[in-house]
Amino acid sequence: MKPNGSLKLLAEVRDLQIVDKDGRSCGICDDIELDGGPGKLAIKALLVGPGAYEGRVPNWLFWLIKRIAGSRIARVPWSAVDKISARIFLNVTAEEVGLRKVEDRWVRKLQKVPTS
Amino acid sequence: MGGLIEITLGIMTAVGGFVDVSEMVFAAQAGSRFVFSLIWVFAIATVAIAVFGEMSGRVAAITKQPVFNLMRQRLDLGPGIIALVASVVVSIITCAAEIGGTATVLKYLTGWPYSVLAALTTLALVAIIWTLPFKWIERLFGLLGLLMIVFAVATVKIHPDWGGVARGFIPQVPVSLPLKDLVTYGYFVVAIISAVLFPYETYFYSSGGVEEQWKPKDLKVNRLVAIVGFALGSMLAISILVNAAVLFRPLHVDPSIVGTSALQAAIPFGRTGLLMALLGMVFAFSGAAVETGLSSAYSLAQFLGWEWGRFRKPHEAPRFTIAWIATFALSLAIVLTGVQALDLVEWAVVLSIVVLPATYLPLILIANDRKYMDRHVNGPVSNVLGWVSYAMICIAALAALPLYFVTQGGKL
Repeated sequence: MKPNGSLKLLAEVRDLQIVDKDGRSCGICDDIELDGGPGKLAIKALLVGPGAYEGRVPNWLFWLIKRIAGSRIARVPWSAVDKISARIFLNVTAEEVGLRKVEDRWVRKLQKVPTS
Repeated sequence: MGGLIEITLGIMTAVGGFVDVSEMVFAAQAGSRFVFSLIWVFAIATVAIAVFGEMSGRVAAITKQPVFNLMRQRLDLGPGIIALVASVVVSIITCAAEIGGTATVLKYLTGWPYSVLAALTTLALVAIIWTLPFKWIERLFGLLGLLMIVFAVATVKIHPDWGGVARGFIPQVPVSLPLKDLVTYGYFVVAIISAVLFPYETYFYSSGGVEEQWKPKDLKVNRLVAIVGFALGSMLAISILVNAAVLFRPLHVDPSIVGTSALQAAIPFGRTGLLMALLGMVFAFSGAAVETGLSSAYSLAQFLGWEWGRFRKPHEAPRFTIAWIATFALSLAIVLTGVQALDLVEWAVVLSIVVLPATYLPLILIANDRKYMDRHVNGPVSNVLGWVSYAMICIAALAALPLYFVTQGGKL
């Protein structure tokens, strides 16, 4: 499927692994943001992060997840999607769309450990 | 992969890595309590793990995605999260049981305090995973775990009733037993199925397939390693059961303490046998600790789409690194609370069988899905064996908790 081609079911895009242009895994498409109205619906962005679980899991589970993992959401604009197969490939780096914030914090800490 | 050396090494690694602390404990207790009448459960569960192991390796080689990545797409987010949390909890408890088992055996070898040895074991394992690449980690523990072959050699040496052993392979229910023993027999059936089919084994195996970048041409090797390696590994577990039936039962020895089984090698081979058995146990249990510790991190990273893998440097897959270090830290914390290793083994076995249906359903569905697998979908043999095994797992999962409580963890 190409981003400008016909959209398959929402379920086909949701839960797919996202890979940035450097080939790094940078999250899962947790949900999709739509734009427009009846007749001209279009995908606006891919939503990534525990905040996007709302509505997809029972309320009690979302409440619990929010307390443990927070409710951050990164929005990956649809224009950043290069192609979709079994994975979603981006034409930008993870940093450009805010998908490396947590990783980068840990990278700096781990790099201080010798032999890493 | 490729070539005879790779195949041999793969099989040897699978054999050396097969027996873990829970298989050891349940095999020995099964033999000393029920003689040879539980051998068939090991045989059937081994067919199941070979079928699912091969399937998960094939899925990894073809889709380039390990089991947990695909589980979420199949189960949907809510049930997927529940399966994820359950399997991480099971992995942590199993890892704690393996660390506890290793520390118990090391205590016999050194005389040092249990908690110090548990801490040192954990630190050593973390250092090994941090520094060695995946293949070396797998090989190191698998090959050193081959010292466990001393148990199979002991079986030959003590001349068991081979006719009785052969009859043990026939599925049976010893209806002549009193009800109390019959229920305990049922608990052992479930516990053995669970111990052989621990979910971490398929997570680890399929993640390993992705780590080593298996391709469709590796499928034959994958099949050989899964079938021959697991079958030979299972023979080791069965030999521990047979030795316990022959050596422990007449003396009323209860081998529920982890190290007792080492005596199986000491009786025919003296000091050397004892040393080989204890060292084999150290490597087999600590190897299983590594597999469970990494499995927990594999599951989390794959479910949440993080960078993962030991083919990357620790800082290149930061959240994955933190996840496996945290798993070891939590496991050690559980061990240091003073819980008995045997209790941990039983919790691990009972909890993991409850999780198993959620693990293997997505696997078997994906292995049958042409969209993912193209022409490498399951053949009729894999499908029949897979679904029959799956039905067995579901029945065992339903029976596990009631049997655990009724038998007080097999202590009835």
